[in-house]
Amino acid sequence: MRKLLVAVALLAPALALAQRQYIDVGSPDFRPLALAVANFPAGPGAQADAVDVQQTFRDDLALTGFFDLLDPRSFLADASEGTTASSIRFTRWSDVGAEGLVKAVVKREGPLVAGELHLYDVRAGREMLYRVYRERTARALAHRFADDVLQYYTREPGIFRTRIAAIRKGKGTWELVLMDVDGKGAEVIRRENTIAMLPSWRPDGREILITSYRSGKPEIWGIGVPDGTARPVISLGDLASGAVYSPDGRSIAFTASVDGNSDVYVAGADGSGIRRLTSDPATDTSPTWSPDGRRIAFVSSRSGNPHIYVMNADGTDQRRLTFKGNYNQTPRWSPRGDQIAFTARDERKVFDVFLVSPETGKIGRVTQDQGRTNEEPSWAPNGRLLVLVTDRGGRQQLVVANPAGDRQRVVTSDASGMAAPAWGPLAP
Amino acid sequence: MTGESALTRGPDRLWPLVLVSVALHVGVFAAAFLVRPPAIVDLDQKPIVAKLIRLGEKRPEQWLPRRDVPPPEAAPRAPDAVPVPIPGPPAPAQKPVALPAPKVTPKPTPPRPASATPGGKGSDALSRAMDKVSKDKKLAEKERWGDPSGVSGGDATDASEGDRYLGLVTQALQASYRLPATISEQERAQLKATVVLTVEPDGRVSTFRFEKRSGNAAFDQALERAVRESRLPPPPPELRQRFRTIGLGVNFKV
Repeated sequence: MRKLLVAVALLAPALALAQRQYIDVGSPDFRPLALAVANFPAGPGAQADAVDVQQTFRDDLALTGFFDLLDPRSFLADASEGTTASSIRFTRWSDVGAEGLVKAVVKREGPLVAGELHLYDVRAGREMLYRVYRERTARALAHRFADDVLQYYTREPGIFRTRIAAIRKGKGTWELVLMDVDGKGAEVIRRENTIAMLPSWRPDGREILITSYRSGKPEIWGIGVPDGTARPVISLGDLASGAVYSPDGRSIAFTASVDGNSDVYVAGADGSGIRRLTSDPATDTSPTWSPDGRRIAFVSSRSGNPHIYVMNADGTDQRRLTFKGNYNQTPRWSPRGDQIAFTARDERKVFDVFLVSPETGKIGRVTQDQGRTNEEPSWAPNGRLLVLVTDRGGRQQLVVANPAGDRQRVVTSDASGMAAPAWGPLAP
Repeated sequence: MTGESALTRGPDRLWPLVLVSVALHVGVFAAAFLVRPPAIVDLDQKPIVAKLIRLGEKRPEQWLPRRDVPPPEAAPRAPDAVPVPIPGPPAPAQKPVALPAPKVTPKPTPPRPASATPGGKGSDALSRAMDKVSKDKKLAEKERWGDPSGVSGGDATDASEGDRYLGLVTQALQASYRLPATISEQERAQLKATVVLTVEPDGRVSTFRFEKRSGNAAFDQALERAVRESRLPPPPPELRQRFRTIGLGVNFKV
C-alpha cells in the first residue's frame, strides 16, 4: 500500500506535466491601424495646395484598408504643438485612440510644391519618419507622402505613384486612359476609331500592349507611354488578342485563332519566334504569367465550360485548376504568386471576381451582391489591392478592392464608363 | 554487531521499494525528456475546436463559394448613377473569346426586360427575366448553407468533434485576436507564437508567458493585448487544477 502511494506521489507531477493541452487560435481579424493626420499647415500662398495634399493623402491611405483614419473633428488642433517629438503631447493623441500620427508642412517654392512629412509612433512617443520633397503638383506630393507611410508600416514599396490604364468607350471611339490609383488625374494617351481593348503593361511601364482592330482584325499593338505612339507587334491567323508581357519583359503570351481554333501562343517581345503552347480543339485563351515567369494560367473550355488551367511556360503539364462555377475567365496571376484573380458567373447568373490558389485550387470570393457584373480584375504591383470593373452604380466604373473584398471603393465616375483596367508597375 | 539486526534487516526489507523508486524516477525523467519536448514545439498540433454545424441544406459542391457576411457596399455613387444599359455591344470589347458573355441590365426590376441569355431579345425576354428574378430571390433567401445533421443555432458550415470548453476558450481568444492590418502578407505567413496561460478557476488569466516568440514585436504585442482583453469562461471542475498549475498552451497563428 505504501509502495503504491509512493509511486503515485512520484508520478503525479510528471503525469500532470505531460498533459498540458494546446489549442490553436488562427485567422486573426486584421484591424486597420488608427492613424491621426493633423491639419497640414501651409506656407504663404500654399493654402489650396495644403488642403489638396491633405485630402489626397488621406484618400490614398484610406484606399488601402490598412488604416483607420481618425476623424479630424475627434481631436482639436493645438497650435502650440510643433513637429519636433518633444513638442508633441503624445498622451493627447493616444487618448483619441491614435496609434500613429502624421504631420506635414506644405509650402510653395516657385512652380514647385514642397512639403515635409513627419510620422510618429504615438505609444513610443517618437518620430519614426521624416521626409522632404519638392513636386510639381500637390497630388504628386501627397502620393509621395502616402507611399512613405505605407512603406514604413508594410515594409513594401508604396503603390500610390503607379498608374492604372483602362479603356474608355465613347461614341465610335476607344480611348486608352491612364489615371492615378484613386481614379483621378485621368489622361487620354491614345484615341482609336476602331475597337481597342485588353491593355496590358510592359514591366518597365514604358509601353502598353492593346488588342486593336485598326487593320480590320484583332492584332496586338504596342502603345508607347506616355507619348501614345503605336507600333504593330503581333498579327496572326484570324485574330491575335489579349497579349501580356512576361515578368522579365522578354516574351509575350497571347491568344491567337488560326484556322478557327483559338490557342495560347508565346512570342518574343518584338513579336518574333511565335510558338504555340496549347493545341486542344476547344477554346484556349486569356494567358497570364506567374510572377516567376515559369508558369502560365489560361482559360480553356476543353471540359465543356470555360475554366482556369495552369501549365508550364513551355506548354507542358497542362492541368485544370478550377472545378467550381461554369464560366470562369479573365485570370490574372498575383504579383505575389499565391492567388489568381478571375471573373466567374455564379449560380445566380451574376459575374463576380474570385481568387483561386494556384497550388491548392481553393477559391475565395472578392465581390458579392454588388451589382450584376464585377469583372476583369487586375492586381496592384504589391499584390495587396485589385482594380476591377463594376456596374453596381449603373455605368461600368473602376473599383479598387482588397483581396478579401471587405474594402472596396468605386474610384471613377466617368460619364462614358471605364473598362479593362490594367494596374501599372511601380514607379522607378 | 548483533544489536544492529533490526537495522540490517531494515534495508533488506526496503530494497524492493528503493528499486521501484529508482525505476519510477527513471520513468518520470524519461517521460519528461522523451515525451514532452515534441509536444512543446509542435506548432502544427491539431487544434481542438468545438463548432456547431448550422442546420440546413449543403451548398452544392460545384458552386462557387459565397461568403457568410456580404462585403459592405462601396461608398454611394454620385446622383448620375441611373441604371442605364451600357450602349453598344460590349461583348467583343470585353471578352476576347468566342464564348458569349451573358450580360444583364444593372437592375432586374420588372419593367425593364433583361437579356439573361445571349441573343435573348425575343418577345419572351420579359417572362424569362421575371423567372430569373424569382429564382434569384429564392437563392437569396437561402443565404446560409449548413448540413442536414446540424443544429439551428450552429454557426459553422462544417466542423469536427472536440472538447467544448477548449472550443469556448478558442472562441474567446479568437474574438479578441486582432492584428494591425499593416503587417504584410509576407510577414503574416511566418507569424507563429506559443504562449502558456495560467487560468484561474474563475476564468481569469493570472499569468501569460511566451513559450515561443514570433520575433515580430508588433505581433507579440498584439497577442498579449488579445489575451488581456479576452474573457475566458471558468474551466470545468475537472480541468481547474490542471489549468491553474500547468496552464494551457495556445498556438497563435495567422
